[in-house]
Amino acid sequence: MNELKPVSVFSSILDYLKALASGAGSIWRALVTAMPYLFKFRSGDHRKEVTEQYPDPVSSRMPDDLPPRSRGFLQNDIARCTGCGDCEKVCPVQCITVETERGPEAAKTWISVFDIDFSRCTFCGFCTEVCAPNSLVHTRKYEGAVSRLDTTVKSFGMGRVTQEQRAKWAAVRKAQEMAEGGL
Amino acid sequence: MSWVQAWSELLSLSPEVPAWFVATLAIAFLYGVVILPSAVVFSYLDRKITADIQARVGINRAGPHGVGQVLADLLKLLEKGISRERGAPSLPWFTVHTMALYSTVAALPIGGGLILLDTDMSALVPVWACILLALGTMLLGLDQRTVTGGFGGLRQAAQTLAGSFPAIVAIIAAAFKAGSFQWSAIVQSQGALPHQWTALSDPFSFIALCVFLCGGLILLSVAPFDSALSPMELAGGVSSGVAGRRLTLFWLGRFYGFFFWATMTAVLFLGGWNLPGGLRSLMEGLGPNVVRGAEAACLISKSFLVMLAWVLVARVIPRLRSDQITGFAWKVLCPASLLALAGVSIWVTVVSG
Repeated sequence: MNELKPVSVFSSILDYLKALASGAGSIWRALVTAMPYLFKFRSGDHRKEVTEQYPDPVSSRMPDDLPPRSRGFLQNDIARCTGCGDCEKVCPVQCITVETERGPEAAKTWISVFDIDFSRCTFCGFCTEVCAPNSLVHTRKYEGAVSRLDTTVKSFGMGRVTQEQRAKWAAVRKAQEMAEGGL
Repeated sequence: MSWVQAWSELLSLSPEVPAWFVATLAIAFLYGVVILPSAVVFSYLDRKITADIQARVGINRAGPHGVGQVLADLLKLLEKGISRERGAPSLPWFTVHTMALYSTVAALPIGGGLILLDTDMSALVPVWACILLALGTMLLGLDQRTVTGGFGGLRQAAQTLAGSFPAIVAIIAAAFKAGSFQWSAIVQSQGALPHQWTALSDPFSFIALCVFLCGGLILLSVAPFDSALSPMELAGGVSSGVAGRRLTLFWLGRFYGFFFWATMTAVLFLGGWNLPGGLRSLMEGLGPNVVRGAEAACLISKSFLVMLAWVLVARVIPRLRSDQITGFAWKVLCPASLLALAGVSIWVTVVSG
């Protein structure tokens, strides 16, 4: 077991003064480092401010300046979308709402509602990873501030259908099936 | 000439106006013409200098070179509603805190003939005023009955205790050098030129200057000693429940404390409002109000230099933890203040004769 060395009063005072000197020295070195930026008496980088003057178009970042895999606002190509709902299921914040029904063609789903609430979206990219037809993609758009909260919800769906339309489509599908069965 | 006559002359009042009315107008004048514009100017300079040190442009949108930004921020804060949620300090309490704060304007040593309180113990009165401000800030935090407000209030209490003792001892050292606690006597014992200032007359007085400045800014929670109320600490600490117009008054109070202490530093250690001899005689030919204005301008300029020099130091070192602040005050400033007092006493008695 290590024995504690007795500490003399003199060494305690010496340590105290050393700590004071060390503290004052660190403040002095910090000032010496910062002063060239304030008075700009050295050339080179010290004269250059790193501020980007957003939203001035001259110096702010354009979409082309973004990294290649930047995840901006989502866009869904509804013509390619199959309405599988994998994106809705995988979304960690439940910001995607998908409602589907049978469309006029037997092989094609009618995606009546496909809403994304961007006030909740975290832009994690999970939904685009699970999208099999690659209809849901990230764009490079990153400016989406709005004044009203309800306008943060973007709709890509084809719209809800009425009962009459549903009945018409059912009749069309039945006729198609009968025609195919006849063949 | 008494302060009543000096202020009556400055504000063009009749000699029959009662002293209490003159004092009220003087306080309103000091607040509106000295403190508020100083807050605006200092806020701008602080943000621009900080930006320069950090290789940023700083504020530059509102007005040329951002000169209108402070006014824009003020207008924005004034139009914000007051929080009615749990934790917001009650209106009567906040009003009392604000009134107590600004009643201390009477103790501001603003210049030769204009000081409202120039008595035998006048140098100690502003210290109590600043302790009042600090304890008011503590109660503001505790009144919120939230975790952040409570912890901020307790930190402020600890800092008030830790900072006040070395500050008072440093004042005693300066007063010992001057031979009096009276503001005018302290300033008269110094000259206009730097080598005539108390701070540079002997090494112990310089130590007293450093102790006074650090102790006071610990007492008032000025950066980097602002762990009790900085927005980055404890979700705002004491200021976490204060919003809108009250937040404007709160931050104005913070500036006021800083300005007050810097003014006291300039008077006690940096020559006060002394004008160089040639300049004074030139001003006297233009009238007493011009001399008073020049003296006040000289003092306010020195206060600004002290504040800006402190800002430079505050911006290059990280914010200290609450225990580091109180540890520094008790273990470094207190012994240093006693050393300064002892040294000044010996110097005055033995060296100066």
